[in-house]
Amino acid sequence: MRWTIRIRALYQAFFLLLFVWLLARLAAGDPRAFPFTVFHHADPLSATGTALAAGTIPGALVWAAALIALTLVLGRVFCGWLCPLGTLQQLASFLFSGRTRRESLSVNRYRRWYALKYYILAALLVGALAGTLQTGLLDPLSLAARGLASGLWPAIPGGRPAPGGWVAALLLLGIVLASRWIPRLFCRAFCPLGALLGVFARFAVFRIHRGSEACTSCTLCAFACQGADEPLGHHRVGECMVCLNCLPACPEQAMSYSALPPLPEPPRQPDLSRRTLVGTVLASLAVTPLLRATGGGRTAARARLLRPPGALAETDFLERCVKCSLCQQACPTGAIQFAIAEAGVEGFWTPVVVPRRGWCEFACTRCGEVCPTAAITRLTPARKTGYDGKPPVRIGTAFVDRGRCLPWAMQTPCIVCEEMCPTDPKAIWFEEAVETARDGTARKLQRPRVDAARCVGCGICENKCPVGEEAAIRVTSVGETRDPLNRLLAGSAKT
Amino acid sequence: MSRRVEPTITRREALLRLSSTVAAAAAVGAGVVAFHDRRTVTAAPVAIPDWRTPPGGQGPAAAARGGDPATNVRRAVAALGGMDRFVRSGESVLIKPNVGWDRIPEQAADTDPNVVAELVRLCRAAGARRVVVADISCNDPRRCFASSGILAAAGAAGAEVLDARRLRLVPAGLSGLAEGLEVVEELLRADRVINVPVVKHHSLSRVTIGMKNWFGVLGQGRNRLHQDIDMAVAELGATFHPTLTVVDATRVLTANGPVGGSLADVRTVGAVLAATDPVLADAWGAALLGHRPDTLGFIAQAERRGLGRADLALVMELGTA
Repeated sequence: MRWTIRIRALYQAFFLLLFVWLLARLAAGDPRAFPFTVFHHADPLSATGTALAAGTIPGALVWAAALIALTLVLGRVFCGWLCPLGTLQQLASFLFSGRTRRESLSVNRYRRWYALKYYILAALLVGALAGTLQTGLLDPLSLAARGLASGLWPAIPGGRPAPGGWVAALLLLGIVLASRWIPRLFCRAFCPLGALLGVFARFAVFRIHRGSEACTSCTLCAFACQGADEPLGHHRVGECMVCLNCLPACPEQAMSYSALPPLPEPPRQPDLSRRTLVGTVLASLAVTPLLRATGGGRTAARARLLRPPGALAETDFLERCVKCSLCQQACPTGAIQFAIAEAGVEGFWTPVVVPRRGWCEFACTRCGEVCPTAAITRLTPARKTGYDGKPPVRIGTAFVDRGRCLPWAMQTPCIVCEEMCPTDPKAIWFEEAVETARDGTARKLQRPRVDAARCVGCGICENKCPVGEEAAIRVTSVGETRDPLNRLLAGSAKT
Repeated sequence: MSRRVEPTITRREALLRLSSTVAAAAAVGAGVVAFHDRRTVTAAPVAIPDWRTPPGGQGPAAAARGGDPATNVRRAVAALGGMDRFVRSGESVLIKPNVGWDRIPEQAADTDPNVVAELVRLCRAAGARRVVVADISCNDPRRCFASSGILAAAGAAGAEVLDARRLRLVPAGLSGLAEGLEVVEELLRADRVINVPVVKHHSLSRVTIGMKNWFGVLGQGRNRLHQDIDMAVAELGATFHPTLTVVDATRVLTANGPVGGSLADVRTVGAVLAATDPVLADAWGAALLGHRPDTLGFIAQAERRGLGRADLALVMELGTA
């Protein structure tokens, strides 16, 4: 009888390993075309969120419909069998908790406040409808990817540092460790994706059924119940994660997982109070303008808010980005980092290019290739570089700081920025000058200047500038292709 | 295996439950079909309309002189055939004065309020359904519209006075140096547009009169146009074709333009020109400031583009009333 559980555990192990392995290959810069976004494209929360916020479900995100179809037939199997964050929590619960049977029975009972996740879902979706997409903060796939790749991997020797990643790591670790006390606490009470799937699971064809004539009400079925869905009493199918632990636990073999079983009378609904739900909706509508009250990048361009190449204009971008961190993992140079304050409160954890961490590789288009919601559009190398004859995709413009630049300020030869500049012809060129040095000798210098019409803002000049900490040439967002109002030069952009 | 638990539901209940599942699936499917890769509808940039009326038998410009600005306006417009020639009954008119600065009329940095108010009255008398006075100021819009006297005067004459706080900007698909700039939406909704500049010295383009006045309908980033001011002004002249240009030379600012401030820089001229030729209008104003029109880059470029003729002999001088 334990075979159902073994198969479920095998599935869980497979999907967890697949998730971690894909993330690791992505971060390692594996050039092979693995399906890096397969989990994120099947995420109904991202699909619903972008549909409400941006009015579109981009590209392969339609696979989310397949997951909903699966849920309509089998219930929340995603939570119990596929979700990497769910598996991690179940593992932590299994490994770290030494509960007695009595304690287990108590901890796996349904609590009214587990309905919190439905309020969270409502708040996130109403926020999306009002134009701010925050589902990624609590989406288990975004959360797991972010916490693993940006929070924990930098700790591995040779790992790339990610400033601010510790916040993501703490959140992930906290969620996983909480299962030591309450199994799958995040799934039960907080997960907005679980709540969304729970809505559809209420229509599920297959569900857990307790044969009441055989049942002796011994409560053994509830000892290992992952979803706290009370298979003993009036089973809550919206909470059930189909872990199937209750099946072999029953000594009377009264539990079954079957198609169209009789429903308990009356069927249990989520414990939602209309008053709280209406309050949640109104509060969410009120919070959206508050998130924007600090400014962000919506109304006025921000100098250091450099978005990855191909990113949509800020408003459209914030309607699509689910903060999954895949672009950050995909970036070969480590240029893409979390925004902490650069993009306002709304843009917390959205990707920004930080040239001192890495530069935007001239012909690289990986970030757009892995973006599951097309917040960063897919570019071809020819389109990005402008080799197709149209203006290149710019993310900003470089400015020389003459007070720090070696030739400009110190009369010391240096050509690094010009040497690195990838455009053709180079955006950085030299002004030749002869200056008198302190000792009276004449010194011939090449002072770098930026041709703003050529610069694409890739930031390799800033990254490689030998002036430590604050570089002597820095990129700001002006001139970025994505924002027609954030321009430097009048007239058509030249190639 | 377990002891078989026999389903005990009726066929009717099974069908009902299956159909609710199928209905949920269909709803999701319909949502996906409706939303998949649906491009968010972005309105195509609206083309800037041509607000000119068919030419009449009159000349391209008439200048009236005298102590009362309102009389000057009436006489100059009458000499071109009267406002009835330009504004028909039921049309909506946008009047674009220069309200760029927080200055009082005596400082001559903004269009004289009497000139604007008289134009509003003429449009109203011609049967205009709606008269809007609008400008995007450089200083605080509230202070500009109040100090210049235009809010009070034009409002009393029956116009809707809109400053930057109440003007919506829309992409307009402008080309050339103005590429990417947004324009005031009211402009696109007006049937007729009257440009009402004031004659001023300008530190970069040397004078600012009519074609330069179009800066005031442009949104954020318009200061980029100073990168090649003469070409930019000529391009604006080729983009915006007003029904009428009414040049206010009640007072002209002769130095420290376009902001001015000192009354010593202001010269009282007491003249108003109405013109259907915007290049001639600018040439006439430039001459008041002592410039030969062909020495000004933007006038020369505008003439080369065929936007009008900078021949001062074409101006009908009506003299003092």
